[in-house]
Amino acid sequence: MKLREYEAKKVLKEFGIPVPAGFLIKSADELAPHLNDLGENIVLKAQVDVGGRGKAGGILMAHRGTAIQAAKDLFAKKIKDLPVREILAEQRLEIQHEYYLSITIDRSTKQPLILFADNGGVEIETTAQDRPDAIRKAVVMPLMRDIPPFMLRELLGSAPMEIGQIINKLYRAFCDKDAMLAEINPLVTTSQGVFAADAKFIVDDNALARQGIRVNRDLTDREREAEKHGFSYVELSGSIGVIGNGAGLTMATLDLIEFYGGKAANFLDVGGGAESERVMHAVRLIASVPSVKVIVVNLLGGITKCDEVAKGIISAGISQKVIVRLAGTNEAEGRKLLSEKGYEMLSTMDLVVKKAVEVTA
Amino acid sequence: MIYGDKKTGILVQGATGKQGEFHIGLMNTYAREVGGRGVIAGVTPGKGGQEVHGVPVYNTVKEAMREHDVTASVIFVPAGAAADSIIEEANAGIETIVAITEHIPVHDTMKAIAYAQVHGSVVIGPNCPGLLTPGEVKMGIMPSGLFSRGSVGVISRSGTLTYEVVDELTRAGIGQSTVVGIGGDPVIGQTFMDVLERFEKDPQTKAVVLIGEVGGNLEEEGAKSTDLPIVAYIAGKSAPPDKRMGHAGAIVEGGEGDARSKIARLKKNGVPVASRPSEIPEMVRALFRTC
Repeated sequence: MKLREYEAKKVLKEFGIPVPAGFLIKSADELAPHLNDLGENIVLKAQVDVGGRGKAGGILMAHRGTAIQAAKDLFAKKIKDLPVREILAEQRLEIQHEYYLSITIDRSTKQPLILFADNGGVEIETTAQDRPDAIRKAVVMPLMRDIPPFMLRELLGSAPMEIGQIINKLYRAFCDKDAMLAEINPLVTTSQGVFAADAKFIVDDNALARQGIRVNRDLTDREREAEKHGFSYVELSGSIGVIGNGAGLTMATLDLIEFYGGKAANFLDVGGGAESERVMHAVRLIASVPSVKVIVVNLLGGITKCDEVAKGIISAGISQKVIVRLAGTNEAEGRKLLSEKGYEMLSTMDLVVKKAVEVTA
Repeated sequence: MIYGDKKTGILVQGATGKQGEFHIGLMNTYAREVGGRGVIAGVTPGKGGQEVHGVPVYNTVKEAMREHDVTASVIFVPAGAAADSIIEEANAGIETIVAITEHIPVHDTMKAIAYAQVHGSVVIGPNCPGLLTPGEVKMGIMPSGLFSRGSVGVISRSGTLTYEVVDELTRAGIGQSTVVGIGGDPVIGQTFMDVLERFEKDPQTKAVVLIGEVGGNLEEEGAKSTDLPIVAYIAGKSAPPDKRMGHAGAIVEGGEGDARSKIARLKKNGVPVASRPSEIPEMVRALFRTC
C-alpha cells in the first residue's frame, strides 16, 4: 500500500532523516496557528492518492501572507477527479542541490537495490535516458543490518559524506517497515543541512497486519469486499465478468477475451480450494457491477472441487447469463448440477470465452 | 532428474495442518504408483510422536534428519512462520526446499533465500505449486493425473495455468520431463534462469515451455541464458498498471514488466511466443520439426 507523503515523512523522521518543518491540515483555518513555525516561504501540497500531482495543480507556492487563501483555493480543487481533504503545509527550503535516492527490491538478485543519482527532482527514468552516468547502484545482502561503508562511498561519488548516513537510515526504514519502495526525490542540500523534500513509500501488502495497517487504501470498496471473502479481485471496464481459479489462469482468461475482441469487466481469482459459499460471493460481487452483461467461469479443479463451484454458481441466483467451463476434480458431479438448472457449459477456455464475446457483441 | 527422483526422501514441514496432511496423502499415493520413496518424515513443532498417513512426525527438522535420509522438503507452514521453516531446513542441510506457502512478507523471503544460499540449499517458491517429474517424483500440490512422461520441460510462475498447459500438452501426445512451478511472488528462489540451467544438464529434456506473466523481467533474462529451444507464453496482456493481478509479483510498476514489452523482447531474441495457451502444443511440435 502506498503511504501518503506526510505518512512517508513521518517514517523518515522516526528513522532520523531530516524533513522540512510541516503540518497536516484538514481545513484552511487550521493553518493559522502554524504560520510562525513555517517561516516566510511556504509550500502547500495536496495529499491525494494519485501520481503526477504537481502537474495536475496539487502543489501551490505561497508566502506567509497568502498561504491561508492559497490553502482555501487548494481545498476547493479536484486533483485528477479526487477531492483535496488533506494538505501538507511545509516550510519552503532554500535548495543548493537536488539528489535522487531510492531503495526497491531487485527481482534478479533477490536483494534490496539502492539507486543514488547526482541530479534529483526529475524522474529516475528521465535521468537514466539523459544522464545514465549520474546514477549509481548497489545491492545489499538482506542479512546485513547496515550498508557497508565502502558501498556508501561508491554510491556517493562526490556527493557530501553526510548523505551516506541518510542512505543507511533509509535502508533501515526500508527493512523495518516492510517496504517495497522507499524513495526520496529530491533529497536536497541547504545551508541548514540535508533534507528529504519529497518522499514515497510503498508497504508490502503481505506485511500490512504486522505494520499495524488495517485498511489497504489502494483497493476499491469492491476489491476490499473481495479480500474479506478470500479472493483477489481487480476492477476493469468491460462487460464480461470473469471468475477463474489461480492468478495465471484468470489472467490468461482475460487475455483470451481481448484476443477474441471482447472486454473483461474484472479479474477475479477465487483462490485454491474454494467452497460453494466463496464462489457464491464471487458471482454476486461481479453481478453487482452494472456494466456486467455475462459472466465467464473458467475453472480447473485440483484442490478446488467442481461440484462446490457449481453449487456456488447456482445459489448466487443472479440475473445475468453465466457460461461455464469446468474441468478436473469432481467435474462430472459439477456438470450434472449445472445442466439440471439449464446452465450453458463448454469444454475449453477458448470456447467459453468466444461464446461470451459473441453474447456481448 | 533435475531436483529429485524416485530415490529422493522428502520431509514435509507443517505436516499436521490441513494442507500438509492432505498433500502428504497425495504425494505418497503418487510415490506408490511410481515406486518412489515419497514423504518419509513430517515436522510440526509440538506434535512430535504423532503420525500422518503413517509418516512419523517430529518436533524439529534436525530430529527428523537424525532418523531419516532426507534431501528435499515441502513447506505448508502459514505465512508468518514459513520463512523460519526455510531457514531451519537450510540450517539442517536439506538440499532442495519447496515452499508452497503464499503471502510471506517479501523481506522475510529475501532473508530466508539469502540464508539458504549461504548454506548451499536451493529454494523453489514461495507461493508455488512445487514440481513434478512424471514417473519419478512429486514435490508439491500438482494434480498428477494430467501429466505424462516425455521430453518437454515446463517452467511457470503460476499454478492452475500450468495445469492447463500440461493438460493441453498431454492431450496432444506431448509428454513432460519435469514441470516446475517457480512461484508468483516478486522474490523467488529458483528463477527461470536457474531451472533452465538444470534442464540443459538433463538428458531427458529436449525443449522447454516457459509460462510467465506480468512483473519483472526474469522470463527474458532466462530465455536469453539458454540454448534450449523454447516456446513462451506471457499472461497479463490486459493487466492495468499498478494493480496486483492475484500474485504478489504480478504487477506492472513504473511502466516496467508489462506483457507487451516482455513478449516483444522474447520475440526479438528469437523465442516464439504463443498468443493463447491452446496454441502451445502445436508450437512445441513445430520446435521439434525444426531441431
